[in-house]
Amino acid sequence: MILSSVQLKNFRSHRNTEINFSGNINYITGGNGQGKTTLLESIYYLCTTKSNIAKADSDVVCFNEENFEIKGSFNNSINNEVRIYYSAEENKKYYFKNDKQVFRAAEVIGQFPVVLLTPADHAITQGSPSDRRKFIDSVISQASETYLKNLLDYNKTLKQRSQLLSRLKEQKQFFYTTELEAWTEKLVAAGSEIIKARKRFCKEFNRFIAESYNVIMESDEIPGVAYNYLDGSGTDEIEKLFSDMLSQKKDEELRRASNLIGPHRDDFIFSINDLNLKTFGSQGQHKTFQVVLRFAEFFYLKEMTNRVPIFLLDDVFGELDINRSSKISSYLSKVGQAFITLTDFTNLSYLQKEEDDLILYVSKGNVSYGT
Amino acid sequence: MQIPETLQNAVDELSKLPGIGKKTAFRLALNILKSDDDKVKSLVLALEGLKSKLHLCKNCFNLSEDDECDICRSNKRDKSIICVVEEVSDVIAIEKTNEYSGTYHVLGGVLNPLMGVTPESLKINELMVRLNNITIKEVILALNPDTEGETTALYLAKRIKEMDIKVTRIARGLPIGGDLEFADEATVGRAVLGRIVI
Ligand SMILES: [Zn+2]
Repeated sequence: MILSSVQLKNFRSHRNTEINFSGNINYITGGNGQGKTTLLESIYYLCTTKSNIAKADSDVVCFNEENFEIKGSFNNSINNEVRIYYSAEENKKYYFKNDKQVFRAAEVIGQFPVVLLTPADHAITQGSPSDRRKFIDSVISQASETYLKNLLDYNKTLKQRSQLLSRLKEQKQFFYTTELEAWTEKLVAAGSEIIKARKRFCKEFNRFIAESYNVIMESDEIPGVAYNYLDGSGTDEIEKLFSDMLSQKKDEELRRASNLIGPHRDDFIFSINDLNLKTFGSQGQHKTFQVVLRFAEFFYLKEMTNRVPIFLLDDVFGELDINRSSKISSYLSKVGQAFITLTDFTNLSYLQKEEDDLILYVSKGNVSYGT
Repeated sequence: MQIPETLQNAVDELSKLPGIGKKTAFRLALNILKSDDDKVKSLVLALEGLKSKLHLCKNCFNLSEDDECDICRSNKRDKSIICVVEEVSDVIAIEKTNEYSGTYHVLGGVLNPLMGVTPESLKINELMVRLNNITIKEVILALNPDTEGETTALYLAKRIKEMDIKVTRIARGLPIGGDLEFADEATVGRAVLGRIVI
């Protein structure tokens, strides 16, 4: 899948920007705060209906304006024109595919798979368990609509059950009512699906991590991701283990009125040669591991969805040495279409630039083509 | 121009209906204004009749013009099978399929702690009374396959289990997260036939 062009209107610093892209690598250069990252953000919007940076759509409207618009042309076997329009007055966002309005985000997610590598990725390996869950969930959700639906179902169950626990606490009913039994059963059913899917995913994903790691690091170290939550003798045991854990924590759950067991409280372990990255990894190892994870995500999605994702890389070379950067850039040429921001222009000299690659200069929201 | 108060009132009332915005309400109000007196009168009568003539069946809580609904009174319906649904609209959806000849029980919603819906606020105790009073062979749970619908089905299965009555749930032919009333008839019909024991 290729994004052949975008048009931005009143999108942050881009009042009126129209760009035709290369189907290979698009190098986006320019100083800090000129609107490079904004270009990536707009592409992310087109693929997911959401910003990867802003919490609210209103945050990205150009100063003193009432609305913004992003248009993009995706070329696959068929062409898809996608348009996002946001009106500040209505505080409402409209999403159109080929001039037909799309009402549910779930109909868009996974249609235009996208992989984004940013400096914020440090949280995946160095942050909290919830950062890791967010990463894993987003990868599986892009590949599996069923997983996304199960996840929404589980999260809803969590909210309902915690509300019920609060009510029971208020009423000083510190025992399982039939109602709580029903919500607990639902929690186990929905949660077990999540746990099983995450276990299957981690097994599968290790192959992709190893491949990318070997290309980028040129070493035979073995990287991996492990997920040991509710490990038992077999996958059919998970429901039982989950139920058992819940009955052990029964009193504490009732007292604290909160869901204490389940895949909303688990964690993933990244490792190199069986050494836990979080404990033993150097700063450089963390950084390369984050890059490796995004490449692994790219190839995983490509295989699972039969679609070539769009690869967005924000300022990836800043913290890497020349050797690693040049490895990554030649690896990128195998990927398909990629968009990569560079602050330091001298970087370009050691990157493996190909004939069809494109260089764009961004300055104060204006974009010009380079050679 | 100032909109006359009478027109504004009509627009306000109409736009309280689900799925009707201000614009549509305005169009409807103007349309009614242009219609013949007879037509307007029969519209008003039809609307009033909804509240004055229709009640909930004392047995199954389906809509009825009498104490008991047509389905409960019919001797062609199998009284030993009860199909439990969320809303009256679900009864209508299943009736359209002509695949079902048992009776119904309308819960009036599903369990939803966040919205304050408890087992007591639904017609669940009334269902238990029905199960106790007459011989029931089977209870079919035809609730929407969403988070709350599925949990309500689990809850009911637990309550009924003690009574030694077969409990089935309609098969998942329905779109996940979709409402029963919006599914096409063939899908609903298949789902009722393909029910499974839970
Ligand atoms: Zn009735």
